[in-house]
Amino acid sequence: MSSLNYIFKRLLMMVPTFFLVMVIIFLLVRMLPGDPAIAMAGDRASDADIQAIRERLGLTEPMLVQFWLFLSNTVQGDLGRSILMRTDVMDVIVDRLPVTVFLTVYSVILSLLIAGPLAFVAALNRGRWPDAVIRTIFQIGLSMPVFYIGLVLLTFLAAQLRLFPVGGYGDTFSEKLYHLFLPSVTVALYTSAIIMRNLRSAIIEVLDAEYVQFARAKGLPSRLILGRHVLRNALISTVTLLGLSIGNLMSGTLVTETVFAVPGMGRLMLEAIFARDYPLIQGLTLTFAVLVSFVFLMTDVFQSRLDPRMRLQ
Amino acid sequence: MQLKSVLGLVLATTLAVPALAQERGGTLNFARYDGSRLIDPIYADRNPDIWMVGSLFDTLLRGSADGNSVEPGLAEAFSVSEDGKTVSLTLREGVLFADGAPMTGDDIVFSLDRARNPDLSPWAGLLGSIDTVSADGNAITIALKDPDPTILSMLATFNTAIVSKAAFETAAGETDQDKSAAIFASTSAGVGSGPFYLCGFEQGSSMDFCANENYWRNGADGKPLPYLEAVHFEIIPDDATRILSLQAGEVDAAEFIPFSRVAELEADSNINMQLYPSTRIIYSPINTRDTRADGSPNPLADARVRQALNYATNKDALIGVVLHGAGQPMSSPLMAKATQFSTDLSPLYAFDMEKAKALVTEAGLEQGTEVTLTTLAGSADDSTIFAALQQMWAPLGIELVVEQVDGATRGAKNRSGEFDIHTYGWVNDVNDPSQVVGWLGYTPTAKAVGTGWENAEFNTLFEEAANEMDPEARKVKFAKMQELYANAAPLLFMYETPFAVALRTAVEGYVQTPLGNNIFDEATVSR
Repeated sequence: MSSLNYIFKRLLMMVPTFFLVMVIIFLLVRMLPGDPAIAMAGDRASDADIQAIRERLGLTEPMLVQFWLFLSNTVQGDLGRSILMRTDVMDVIVDRLPVTVFLTVYSVILSLLIAGPLAFVAALNRGRWPDAVIRTIFQIGLSMPVFYIGLVLLTFLAAQLRLFPVGGYGDTFSEKLYHLFLPSVTVALYTSAIIMRNLRSAIIEVLDAEYVQFARAKGLPSRLILGRHVLRNALISTVTLLGLSIGNLMSGTLVTETVFAVPGMGRLMLEAIFARDYPLIQGLTLTFAVLVSFVFLMTDVFQSRLDPRMRLQ
Repeated sequence: MQLKSVLGLVLATTLAVPALAQERGGTLNFARYDGSRLIDPIYADRNPDIWMVGSLFDTLLRGSADGNSVEPGLAEAFSVSEDGKTVSLTLREGVLFADGAPMTGDDIVFSLDRARNPDLSPWAGLLGSIDTVSADGNAITIALKDPDPTILSMLATFNTAIVSKAAFETAAGETDQDKSAAIFASTSAGVGSGPFYLCGFEQGSSMDFCANENYWRNGADGKPLPYLEAVHFEIIPDDATRILSLQAGEVDAAEFIPFSRVAELEADSNINMQLYPSTRIIYSPINTRDTRADGSPNPLADARVRQALNYATNKDALIGVVLHGAGQPMSSPLMAKATQFSTDLSPLYAFDMEKAKALVTEAGLEQGTEVTLTTLAGSADDSTIFAALQQMWAPLGIELVVEQVDGATRGAKNRSGEFDIHTYGWVNDVNDPSQVVGWLGYTPTAKAVGTGWENAEFNTLFEEAANEMDPEARKVKFAKMQELYANAAPLLFMYETPFAVALRTAVEGYVQTPLGNNIFDEATVSR
């Protein structure tokens, strides 16, 4: 009950957040030089054509009127019509959203699968060679740009060894798992490096805590200690970190989706920006904002489950 | 008589035998750099749309292989009246749309009226000379307001391709554009009569063309084209990924290969690296206005300075570093060599540093004059061009600085004149020089590609050429325009580049035309 109440309160608090996001994005796209009418009509169009398009798009209206229209339409679930795609922004987003969500969730799972076990190995072997090797490898992973890792993986695993497809998305669930493996690994490598470092130090800290020493002294089997006491407590900060890095993961899709030819929202965002497709940029940004806020909320809820000291208020 | 026909039959059979071995069927997988959004003859306004129109739709006339004349297309015969004001065409008997419905004169009238409606088509201006279009059975008559030397070329251009009137009448939607979008989204076979019809479309991801079994043109084996059963397009925007996809055998062809990768792919025995001749020119408009946008005096307003920049630019060196040799210097200042009426003025501003220095001295250019080159952010070619020009122009006392922007910003700057020099490119849409010359030199169209250059003699010549029906006289006018333009140098004349497409060796018969059109009509792929 209290948990539901909390979620409801948090949702209410998101309203001003979204309003601010909308103000910022509305102003930002309009501050970019070059306007959608020129991008749409092409460099060869006459000034009269451009003016006609500007009027049709409602860009000749005063800013406040434009913003009011954007706000009221959005509240009614109408994000406008994409200039680039010549169709409703909502339709385009509904089409692309699952792809990006799939890619992001897949990356999170992969980064946990990569970081979790290795963090344990590193923490339990603190200061010895396995720790050093793992930390060095992840340090390298952290310092390489995403697109570069992507191309290296593509070149070796896809083009030369032909273990994975180079591009595309796939139709069935298992096909998607297969097609999106390399892009997800690419995104996951960076995140897993951050998680691994954090989880390792969290585990080390917990291992030194008095209650763990006490559990050991009691003679509890080490598997039980690690599972029930160490992992659970070390995970708290990791969950926070994972929640906070969702923004990173999402922005990573801009590059990854382009490199791997995945038809998701990230690639669409790039195209929309280049085309100055105001409605599409606004719609996509808003969607990203909703996703990130949702993840933050989930993080808080999940955290309270892990740690009863953090009561939901 | 009888013997003759028997002989003819024997001969025909003998000739047909090797042709029967023509490979048929199969799907060609083609990796594109960007996707189509709406392939409709009149709404196609981006190259990824324009270049696919010919696969789904047919025009009344077809461009000849050399690009300098027209041949029968949907119209099996055509003629222009003595006074140049009437075009008569005969629609081929028995042409069917891809869904099997017959094409009639009504479809022709509907399509051409649609194409020349300025409220609908951004290309309507190209058909401004048409007064009325009418049909009597298979006889089509186009009445012109004034004689128009480009009309036959226009009837072979994508925007005059024929659509089904019935498809538009039955499509959902209020406006013509809504109907067009609805037809496209429904991937219906009933709208065009080209060699293929659209049979699959995933926005931003993939597209499928299926063979039109009712297509009227025959292949080498005497059966209807196309040879392929289908073409599947994958959109892979990243250059490196597109090439990897080809190397991994996931696709049979990849377009827009960066020139830096051409040599490597040429060396690959599994890959047939093709450089198709194009009408693409790469040039840089120079602001010729007396003052810059900020009000300060413009050193580039002096033609001698612009000539000096052209002389000081080593075109061969640029082609070497930017295109890795896959290109040639512009030979006409106004158009690619493959364009009709192009005059070969090569070498156009052959590299001559002494002459360049003399010109800037004569013009009294101050040492250390700062000039800004506006380039596309993220374009490796543009970065190389900037680095090369910065060095090449330094001896003239010019300090070249760079300003990196994206495409939309560059377009806006071109319009407002807020630039010194910026990079640009052009590919002809029409097989006639009037379009590109109107763009680059004629002031009323686009301020001579944004340079602000204005020459009364040039403008008059351009207007006269628009009504000149005698090809020889027209050619003379275009020659004079090219001469004037070369001397005035409103551009940095750079180079022509081919279309680089890499194909697996199993693919044959694919062509990209000088206008950029992707032609799959006679393509085959052996498995």
